Amino acid sequence: MAKFIIRRFFLLLLTMFLVSIAVFLIAESSPGNVARNVLGSFITPEQEASFLAQMGLDKPIWQRYLYWLTGSDWHAEKKVGLSLKRITTRKGFEEWWAVGEGGNLLRWKMEGEDLIALVKTPDLETFERPANDRWQTYPEGGSYFWGIDTANHAVRWEKGSGETVWNFVMGSGWMAATGGPAEYIPLKKGFVRGDPGVSLRTGRPVSKSIFVRLRNSLVLAGIAFAIVMPIALFLGILAGLKEGSLPDRFLSISGMMFSVIPEFATGIFLILIFSHWLDLVPGATVFGEKAPWERIDMLILPVLTLTLIELGYILRITRASMAEVMRSSYIRTAFLKGLPYWRVVFRHAVRNALIAPITVIMLHVNWLMGGIVIVEVVFGYPGLGKYLLDSALYKDINALEAGTMIMVMVAVGTQLIADVIYTFLNPRIRYG
Amino acid sequence: MRQEGKLHPLVKELKLDLETGKLSRREFLRYSTLVGLSATAAFGMAGLASPRKLLAAQIIHRGGTLKVSSPIQKVTHPAQFSWVAPSQQLRQVAEYLTWTDSNNITRPYLLENWEASEDLKTWTLNLRQGVKFNNRDEFTADDVLFTMNQWLDKDVGSSLLGMVGDYLDPTGIEKTSNHQVVLHLKRAEIAVPEHLFHYPALILNHRTFEGDFIKRPHGTGPYTLEMYREGERCVVKRREDYWQMGADQNPLPYMDSIEFIDMGAEMAAQISAIRAGEIDTIDLSDAGGTDVYQALKDDPDINIQPATTSQARVLRMRADLKPWTDNRVRKALKLCQHREKILALAYFGQGIQGQDFHVYPKHPEYCKKDTLQYDTEKAKELLKEAGYPDGLDVNLAVGSEWTDVVRFAEVLKQDAAPAGFRINIRTMPNSQYWEKWTEVDLGITPWTHRPLGTMVLNLAFTADDTGKPVAWNETRWVDEEFSKLLNQANGTLDVDERRKIFCKLEDIQMERGSIGIPYWRNVWMVTRSRVENVESHPNLYMLFNTVWLKKS
Repeated sequence: MAKFIIRRFFLLLLTMFLVSIAVFLIAESSPGNVARNVLGSFITPEQEASFLAQMGLDKPIWQRYLYWLTGSDWHAEKKVGLSLKRITTRKGFEEWWAVGEGGNLLRWKMEGEDLIALVKTPDLETFERPANDRWQTYPEGGSYFWGIDTANHAVRWEKGSGETVWNFVMGSGWMAATGGPAEYIPLKKGFVRGDPGVSLRTGRPVSKSIFVRLRNSLVLAGIAFAIVMPIALFLGILAGLKEGSLPDRFLSISGMMFSVIPEFATGIFLILIFSHWLDLVPGATVFGEKAPWERIDMLILPVLTLTLIELGYILRITRASMAEVMRSSYIRTAFLKGLPYWRVVFRHAVRNALIAPITVIMLHVNWLMGGIVIVEVVFGYPGLGKYLLDSALYKDINALEAGTMIMVMVAVGTQLIADVIYTFLNPRIRYG
Repeated sequence: MRQEGKLHPLVKELKLDLETGKLSRREFLRYSTLVGLSATAAFGMAGLASPRKLLAAQIIHRGGTLKVSSPIQKVTHPAQFSWVAPSQQLRQVAEYLTWTDSNNITRPYLLENWEASEDLKTWTLNLRQGVKFNNRDEFTADDVLFTMNQWLDKDVGSSLLGMVGDYLDPTGIEKTSNHQVVLHLKRAEIAVPEHLFHYPALILNHRTFEGDFIKRPHGTGPYTLEMYREGERCVVKRREDYWQMGADQNPLPYMDSIEFIDMGAEMAAQISAIRAGEIDTIDLSDAGGTDVYQALKDDPDINIQPATTSQARVLRMRADLKPWTDNRVRKALKLCQHREKILALAYFGQGIQGQDFHVYPKHPEYCKKDTLQYDTEKAKELLKEAGYPDGLDVNLAVGSEWTDVVRFAEVLKQDAAPAGFRINIRTMPNSQYWEKWTEVDLGITPWTHRPLGTMVLNLAFTADDTGKPVAWNETRWVDEEFSKLLNQANGTLDVDERRKIFCKLEDIQMERGSIGIPYWRNVWMVTRSRVENVESHPNLYMLFNTVWLKKS
């Protein structure tokens, strides 16, 4: 068993690796322009170029993938020549600094032609000092400097190379400069080191948003799951035992009805009936600080929508499986042996009948996680599915990758759980 | 109130025009405030009561939290805003020098007043004294200097660079005292006060601003920024020492806080939420809002206030590509617009009919013209003259997410068929339309609201010095007489004179122009009925300084 689980674990890693490459390639080849998606359709070509450069999107695809996977700080460290450190400020902003002599933290900025170092001492005092001694010269003329700017990039500043630009410096007015930032490397630690990077769309670290979204989705899916499963299994068994009876017909038909109506239709019908007409529960989710606990009533309709869809599906699978088992010869033998009815049902029939539903249920955990996107959009629920949808629409690659990886983990993980449960239901199944 | 003697000479002329009936009250208010007369004085001179509602009589209720559904976008530098949405949150925290109200009248905001020289090339801005940033720094001329230089800094990449930078160089900004700034323009410009209220033009604190407003949210506005989580929530809280006084003689604002919640782009959930009272208003500035209007117009708990705007869906024909090079073909297609029907079917009748020139009746220089009537017989004749006796096939490009554009296209397709136009509608995602909006030969382009009539004409129907059509001239239509008249209009402040020029401009555009404008769109401010004192702005800016909430 342990060997089986370990093998599955490595399979998970391999799957994640392949999927991450696939997502990168798909996002790369899909139409649309992330700069225009984020900044609007009327940005100038200069604004677009600057956005792409600062986000590191002007780099070749393999390099962007490498940065995403393993981080860019090690590469930037080589360029800057100092080790880099990520700190979190008291207000909760993430900042990258270079570590200078004596444990001082350093960043730089350009003012006109002058390079200014921003220094933060270990006891958190900050001051500025000129740092023009850091310029290095190109063999072909002009000078450059690799440093960290105030927006978490490693930057190559240049001067004396290109055309003159005018910069406004407070206190000194407009100053001519013959250069400026020429290349950016956005700093991140990389996915394998637990940093999925910054969302291109919102500028927020993906890790800060995605776990909240995941939690919200898990709460929604979890409640729906906890409600659906016992009811669906129970009703399914009941219907399967009395195949062809009136309760069976009723359950089968109503179950089928709800599972064929698409969830956006069910959702909107429920909103119209329970929120607009009867005015019983809110028809949309508006969460404040302590989402989603503070307003349980807002969860009722989304959960109900998911329940109705799932219920019919699993009920029918269970019913069919149960009915089939009840017709099999070993059950007949059990009855002929004179065993009590309920004992035959629970000891002999149910265990075998559940194998098919368990597979479906476990596959549906995935569906619940990804497929609830429609329910989330209908109710404005801030879940993972909606986050992924928005990221995909904006071509927000960092957010998209992180979301996809979570989905892969859930998919492979639930499959693993399903496999383990099989062994308990059917001792003939062994993994070695 | 300022002394009569120090008034801009134009004010006297304007007053005379008003008295002799040459000028409407609205126009008088617009123009006199433009050259620096305070709005109160202007209202007084026009013989109108100041529109400030007599709130003292009402019992204003202080406190409460307003909940707004609005996109929470990434924000670093306010001057870089490319959408209105982030300005909705930050305009509660920081402020503008001027303020263009719902009637397109521009008033002083962080300015005490302003004066324009007679040639309109020198503008003196007098700053309000005693205004403090929320970090207790005093608001001075240095802040204005710093902020304006940010607009004009190429590295910042502000859209104001193209707007203000066109007539103002950094060297033209002069600080004459701690509370006075003089602008020396490169050319005459009358829209300076309007531009100072353009949504990225928030005044920044020169002492603390370092490129990221969220890290140091120091503005002069009535609220302080408590939380800004992109894609999720933004909370602003009332500050105690705001400079403006309420009607109850205590400092504004009336509300304790405003909470912005990002509910995504899907409207259904937001409509449900406002219906149920979970939110108080929806930010529709970057969205369309027609579905919201449709869903909520009969709800007794919700106030819907329309504002007439110069937003248009412009049927634009490339005047440099066949068959649109022939004015007869252009005219024929314009004749095929059944305006009443288009407005009714595409936009539920929520707007006013357009007349194929880019000036709308609420623009001060609007000159009244007869609307071209739907006439397929005449159109057919014109097509025959142009060499298309059997009609012609044309492709019409439309963005599929603008539902009213699609419906406009469908109505046009049907109504133009009798004249001989066989229109093939090519829908595409909006983003794709924006990729090639200046390139397609026939398409429908949404143009946004602008408060002055000259603004769009300068952007869309002119050529640069070398004779090349300017970047946003999507139809490549350049007309010598038109350009000359427009230049003349740009330097004319006198409304009568200006309108005379506009009469000719409108005629030219109607007769041989490259666009059809069947209707001007309304926008709507949608609020729960507990929200009091809300005005509907043509840009749907959320100006909530004096908004208050009824006790629940």
